[in-house]
Amino acid sequence: MRAPVRLGAAETTLVAQLQLAGATAEAERLGVAGLPTRRVEAYHYTDLKTLLRTVPPLAADATATGAPALDIPGAYRLLVANGRAQAHGTAPAGVIVGTTKGGALTERDDVLVRLNSALAAETLTLTLEGTIDPVIQIDRRTEGDAAHAPSSARIFLADGAAATIIETFSGSAAAHVSNHGSFVQLGKGARLTHITIDLSPRPATHFATTEYEIGADAQLRTLTIHAGAGLERTQLFARFGGEGAHADFTGLNLAAEGQHADITLEARHAKGHCTCKPLYKQIARGRSRAVFQGKIVVERDAQKTDAKLMMQGLMLSDEAEILSKPELEIFADDVVCGHGSTCGKLDEDSMFYLMSRGVPEAEAETMLVRGFIAELLDPIENEPLNEALQGVVDQWLEAR
Amino acid sequence: MTTPMLEIRDLHVRIAEREILKGVNLVVPKGEVHAIMGRNGSGKSTLSYVLAGKDDYEVTSGQVLLDGVDLLELEPSERATAGLFLAFQYPIEIPGVATMTFLKAAMNAQRKARGEAELTTPDFMRAVKEAGTALHVDTDMLKRALNVGFSGGEKKRAEILQMALLKPKMCILDETDSGLDIDALKLVSEGVNALRGPERSMLVITHYQRLLNHIVPDVVHVFSDGRVVESGGKELALQLEAKGYAEFDEAAA
Repeated sequence: MRAPVRLGAAETTLVAQLQLAGATAEAERLGVAGLPTRRVEAYHYTDLKTLLRTVPPLAADATATGAPALDIPGAYRLLVANGRAQAHGTAPAGVIVGTTKGGALTERDDVLVRLNSALAAETLTLTLEGTIDPVIQIDRRTEGDAAHAPSSARIFLADGAAATIIETFSGSAAAHVSNHGSFVQLGKGARLTHITIDLSPRPATHFATTEYEIGADAQLRTLTIHAGAGLERTQLFARFGGEGAHADFTGLNLAAEGQHADITLEARHAKGHCTCKPLYKQIARGRSRAVFQGKIVVERDAQKTDAKLMMQGLMLSDEAEILSKPELEIFADDVVCGHGSTCGKLDEDSMFYLMSRGVPEAEAETMLVRGFIAELLDPIENEPLNEALQGVVDQWLEAR
Repeated sequence: MTTPMLEIRDLHVRIAEREILKGVNLVVPKGEVHAIMGRNGSGKSTLSYVLAGKDDYEVTSGQVLLDGVDLLELEPSERATAGLFLAFQYPIEIPGVATMTFLKAAMNAQRKARGEAELTTPDFMRAVKEAGTALHVDTDMLKRALNVGFSGGEKKRAEILQMALLKPKMCILDETDSGLDIDALKLVSEGVNALRGPERSMLVITHYQRLLNHIVPDVVHVFSDGRVVESGGKELALQLEAKGYAEFDEAAA
């Protein structure tokens, strides 16, 4: 065993918070190992020891009012402030809303997961049956003075259920450290579109982990968008636990000056005959850093798996950094798997073509970027939702 | 003499260290259609790109005036707004941008730059439908991403459709006949001819006489080794077709 590392201010605070919460083992563990550095493979491009200098006190209960960071007309909205579910309106048919104590994530060797499990006081639970008509929005906010705010949700889709859920993350303009967890289970033949979008103010740090347990013949589409906090990391751990399922994992890092945005995906095929198409795009401008790590694991019994992973990066400045690590880990012998990764600037010929028709440079750039993103947003069929997401992208583009 | 629409004076252009245009002199009067013929590599396409304002070229000397406006000082989008249009030899495919969206953006950008009100959606749709019918461009094609998966003929028809909608003063058609079968060539040529008028000039770049049977030029210029070496009437094109470019190479030397 290695000698304990020297703890920084962030780690000292976290250890104290864990001890106070009675998570003695976790406190001890973090006290010895510290936060992961670049030597830990999963955090190679997001060295938490360097990037996370301080952690504010644990969040006090808060009541949040006011409009959501993203308004989606017609959506059924559930508000969670500083980890606590707020009073909500009558749930639509097929939706049961509740809360349970503690977190929702499964045990996993990951520091953000362990912190969330040890510190989340409450989990918002959603049980969905049948076809849910309105879009469900889980509006998670971290309010008040700078706070370390764990929050948690558990979403269960019964066999054959169908729903569209968007989780929006936002809060007051303070140096929050929010650490969200979601556990999502899809029953047999369930269909889910699950969008998570970080719209936190720039001084904040946003961490989120979503676990997916995908049942037989289920259909899942995910869309992760980072467009907010200065430091963002979303982890997705998906497991295909039944045959015949399909998942489109998609995501978009929008990184501007001073930002660090990281999406890390692990899709695990435990059962055969499933297909999975991860498609991630990253756009970086100014001095910023966008990271994508994507790993597809095919276990021994997962024969006839068909998985194709793709990352596409677009650099809008010379100082921007786009990092990509696609990985395949295959233990079955009858599968079709592939991965690809490309990165470049806006195509000069395309720019010239648009400009030669009278479109000014900035507008031509916007058109091309929107075109680049189109295949992520186009599959979101609900119109108000699609428009709201397009609005986020446009706002990011206009903020140049 | 009639008013010149396009005036090119002693234009010299380099790419990297190589001189491609070596003193081009050319005047296209208002309302006339001129053709430039020349073999591959003579600098014809370079001329069209330089006129439209592509970045890769360095203009070392010379002047280009469009209806009296100094073109070389302008950004590509400003040249378009000033009335220049280049129909590309190889139109660029732009995934994710619907053709319709692009057309509307281009038309409105030009209107905005000229201080005109933006088109309403019904007015825009009407204009597109009208121009599209003549060129056999249907709405389905316009819903697709710009030039993506278009056949050679569809791409060229889409170029001419853009030309019809943007109503430029000066059209440059770069090898518009390339990749077209006879029927498509006829259709495209009819589209171009419909746009001829006293206020609009055209410069048709080609290396085959074939196109000029359909788009009959007022003047033909022979291009060789980066400059115009001979100008004449439309019969010059026939002469070229019969004898080839060889004898003009001497004139260039």
